[in-house]
Amino acid sequence: MSIDAQIGQALTVCVAAVFTQNILLSYFLGLCPFLAVSREVKAANGLGVAVIFVMTCTCALNWMVYHWILVPMHLEFFRFIIFIIVIAAFVQFVEMVIERYSQRLYQTLGIFLPLITVNCAILGACLFMIIRDYSLIVTVGYGLGSGIGWYLAIIAMAGIRQRLNNDVVPRGLQGPGITLIIAGLMALAFIGFTGVMQ
Amino acid sequence: MTKLKELVKEGLWKNNPVFRQVLGICSTLAVTNLVLNTLVMCTALIFTLAFSAVSVSLLRNFTPRNIRMMVETLIIAFYVIIVDVALKAYWPEMSRNLGPYVGLIITNCIVMGRCEACAKNCQVGVAALDGFFNAVGYSFVLLIIASFREVLGMGSFLGMPVPYFSTPLWDKWIIMVMPPGAFFMLAFVVWIMREIQFRIEEKQK
Amino acid sequence: MKTNRWFSVFYMFVVTAFFSAIIISLSIATREKVKANETLALEKAILQVLPDLYEEGMSGAQIHQQFMDKVDQPSAATGNAWVMKKNRGYQAYAVPLAGKGFWDSIKGVIGVAEDRKTVTGIAFYEQTETPGLGAEIAKASWREQFNGKKLADGEKVLTMKRPGQPAGEHDVNAVTGATQTSVRLATIINDSVKQWRQKLNP
Repeated sequence: MSIDAQIGQALTVCVAAVFTQNILLSYFLGLCPFLAVSREVKAANGLGVAVIFVMTCTCALNWMVYHWILVPMHLEFFRFIIFIIVIAAFVQFVEMVIERYSQRLYQTLGIFLPLITVNCAILGACLFMIIRDYSLIVTVGYGLGSGIGWYLAIIAMAGIRQRLNNDVVPRGLQGPGITLIIAGLMALAFIGFTGVMQ
Repeated sequence: MTKLKELVKEGLWKNNPVFRQVLGICSTLAVTNLVLNTLVMCTALIFTLAFSAVSVSLLRNFTPRNIRMMVETLIIAFYVIIVDVALKAYWPEMSRNLGPYVGLIITNCIVMGRCEACAKNCQVGVAALDGFFNAVGYSFVLLIIASFREVLGMGSFLGMPVPYFSTPLWDKWIIMVMPPGAFFMLAFVVWIMREIQFRIEEKQK
Repeated sequence: MKTNRWFSVFYMFVVTAFFSAIIISLSIATREKVKANETLALEKAILQVLPDLYEEGMSGAQIHQQFMDKVDQPSAATGNAWVMKKNRGYQAYAVPLAGKGFWDSIKGVIGVAEDRKTVTGIAFYEQTETPGLGAEIAKASWREQFNGKKLADGEKVLTMKRPGQPAGEHDVNAVTGATQTSVRLATIINDSVKQWRQKLNP
């Protein structure tokens, strides 16, 4: 495919990944940090931005590792382990770099990074881009779109939950309970998007 | 002996992974629309969590601190892949059903969570029991959710039709089969369990 | 405890190598069995779509025997489809379907009768769609509606309609609640049949 066509596909895939195939609300990946960190917008913002960054970079990295190392050596079935190691190593590396160069950034963002290693959304996005046979440019678009989609979901959830602070919630539902109900309603709403794009 | 009882109570009830720690939700949603799939996945999870906890605990004095998460992930992935390979060879039907979820166990926050919270600091025996009972605690909540979802959404239980729900008299709640239904069902279970816990605590005061 | 960088790298390497070795040996040991299972699934699917070849409860050995007796391997003359031979010409084709579903790839066969229009059945031997939703496509009760449908000429061979809507001879109803899987399956069927037709009439 020509570069033009690839960029076109990358844009389509990016927008689809944000709305109609949102990795959190349509595929239900990355829920644990979503439920845990969405209590206030500030924290959600920090985690969301970190996820966008890590997802885009690791999708691209894993694409390169898969197509330039695993496939030529006929080790495709190893991709689970290798992808996770790449993700963990990348996050570790980013944490070291941030700690070295910006203490302030480390204070706000640093604690989220270990949480991202186990975010199933990142591994899921890497596996999907392999299955769907995206080129490198399209993969970057897909990683970016998935990250933005995840960010969108967690920010929306945090906004809603902050509003709820003023309302009365039954004690058994406080915290995870009400979050799950809101998540269910958001998921229902996003199902409405499935007819928009093929 | 009291330590054992403590671990059992913690894993199954007081610190239940689903409604107290709220971990491992991705897998919960995906797999609980059929009781049979839930059973198989929970068995796989019990196996993975117990053995991973043991392995992490065995290696805890050798693993450098800065790569410990990578090593934990590697160990967890190892056991999951063993389960996947075994299923593919000896029970291909179930392997096909479980396909996407096997990967979900690797990133299941419970496994990593228990490894970080307990296994990397505790002795092998404690880690094993902690892992085992957390996984069992997770499983029984999932089975409750799955029972409701399958009966209400598909009119069957373990694949077999249930008397009233499988007849045309019951208009199947398809939403129970879809992920939003899982969210609602899970919220409901969390609500009930937590309410029960609050009341028990109040009575004890 | 050592936090020496090089020791970390070395340790990671050793641990990875150790566990990987075990997995690789297990994979190699079960490779034959896995392959046999996959071949059996493929043969069973082909028997299911060709008329009157499959019965419930056939054992693995019986399926394989039936397959060897009655089904011919793909060739250029059949557009790369498996065929059930008759005395003259072909009685039915089993056209391969392959493409991407909601989660992972979907592989199956669609049976087409001698007239190259009438559908004799559809079956899948590989799919990992959501159980209860997308995976319903593999259930016999949903697949039955394909029997007797006709493949249209032109771009859309079969149209996926919403559940409950009346379905004409070129339409099939989707699985309730599994829009993504149903839509992708329709695309897979259209693309695969078009490819088959092109190979038959180059």
